[in-house]
Amino acid sequence: MIEIEDLCKAYGKHTVLENINLKFSSGKVYGIVGENGAGKTTLFRCIAGLEDYDGKITSEIAPLKNHLGLLLTEPFFFKRITGKEYIRLLCNARGKTNIDIESKNIFDLPLNQYAATYSTGMKKKLALTAILLQENDYFILDEPFNGVDIQSNMMLIEIINKLKALNKIVLISSHIFSTLSDTCDEIHLLQKGKQIRAVKNDEFASLEEDMKMMTIGFKIENIGLK
Amino acid sequence: MKEYFILQYKMANRRLWEAKINPVIGYGLGAMGFVLLSDYLFEQSTFAKYLVVLVALSLLFNLTHTNRNEFLQCTFGTKKFRQIRVIENIIVSTPFVGLLLYHNAFIEASLLFIASFLIATISIKINRSFTIPTPFYKNPFEFTVGFRKTFYIFPIAYALTFIAIRVNNMNLGIFAMLLVFLVAMSFYAKPENEFYVWIHADNPSDFLFKKLKIASIYTLPLALPIVCSLIVYYPADTDLIILFLFAGLFFLWAVILAKYAAYPIEMNIPEAILLVICLYFPPLLLLLIPYLFKKSINKLNRYLR
Repeated sequence: MIEIEDLCKAYGKHTVLENINLKFSSGKVYGIVGENGAGKTTLFRCIAGLEDYDGKITSEIAPLKNHLGLLLTEPFFFKRITGKEYIRLLCNARGKTNIDIESKNIFDLPLNQYAATYSTGMKKKLALTAILLQENDYFILDEPFNGVDIQSNMMLIEIINKLKALNKIVLISSHIFSTLSDTCDEIHLLQKGKQIRAVKNDEFASLEEDMKMMTIGFKIENIGLK
Repeated sequence: MKEYFILQYKMANRRLWEAKINPVIGYGLGAMGFVLLSDYLFEQSTFAKYLVVLVALSLLFNLTHTNRNEFLQCTFGTKKFRQIRVIENIIVSTPFVGLLLYHNAFIEASLLFIASFLIATISIKINRSFTIPTPFYKNPFEFTVGFRKTFYIFPIAYALTFIAIRVNNMNLGIFAMLLVFLVAMSFYAKPENEFYVWIHADNPSDFLFKKLKIASIYTLPLALPIVCSLIVYYPADTDLIILFLFAGLFFLWAVILAKYAAYPIEMNIPEAILLVICLYFPPLLLLLIPYLFKKSINKLNRYLR
């Protein structure tokens, strides 16, 4: 379980998150959606402890950060580190040594090549492989489907379902609604740092419609495409 | 083209402001540090001029990466791109050429000046599939990355030791040993992305001890061939050689701790000044190391709570 109570985050006078209250249970997958700048990444950074905040974030297994696999939107890689060394670095950091990395290379990545030379999708797959091998209890996947090929997206959906079956908590943000409706048990909608709606999977279709209306509205007509 | 250099100047100033240093003071202190350090080097060794050329060349080669040059060429066109590259290289090499001229190393100064023009015409493309092997793969990060960047300096250090023994100049041998430590220190010069601190399931103190341990167990084997050779050829100076070995190790620890004492920004002027003072009076390291350790713990608490 992860519980967020009255979470607020501001950068100077600019409020990014306002009174967020969320409860995440084991064995469930949660989607966090919202427009760019809605506060999704800041929320994830607060949960990970990468940001100072007001409010309270607690977890069943503490400290949360030591059991959390964090997949950033744009994972950072050092220039001269191979894929295999990146995985080893992340596993060593969590005390997981003696892992047979080669046999767990499910995305067939060129592990002996410098990770910085990988394509966007390969980088994401590498970062994902590393956090999976860390054997975490909690996962935050910020835009995991971006830049990844269709085959790997299908694999990613299966991985998320497997994590769910293993009783893990998975938080995902994605701009592709179908990837969330395929995997999530619950979706939370953020708008300008506020939590405006939470829906269970039977209401996903209506949420998508509402989001379309809210985001698109009559803007397409206004541009006057000819 | 003028805008490009103004932008570079602005970016340099921003980096100084980010490190909470007034640019005027920063440039002044940088120039002073350059003069003092080079004076010290030229006092200590007759080989200082080669080290100056080596440092200047490595800075010039840093500007030759294909991606950077392709961007400049696309933005400014071929003619202006060439001009920018030549001006950049002259700006970088001028202090070093001046220093060599001041110390009467006219041949080295001329060669460096010519090299700065020639290097402006090349772009180094990284071979994507070629990976430089490293003995430090078990604990990836600083040594894995650093070794791949500076591997060629270790044979130079060993060659210098060989020359030192041949010409019976122990000081040069000590310099070669300290060069190994200096290179290891450079691996810790820049703060890493916060993610790479955050991932560790350690408290700040354990994290720092691990960093110091890895740095020590990876640097000592690199310095050992030099230490052993010097002890074999200068047994009467064993105490002195061991003393320098420990001084190198303590400086390495101090640099690592200075990095985390300023984290997540780059090492601050106060830490740099303290390190320079220790260069003149190394026993101060025994006070500086615990001080930096405590300061590092305060900074790391934010990421490793």
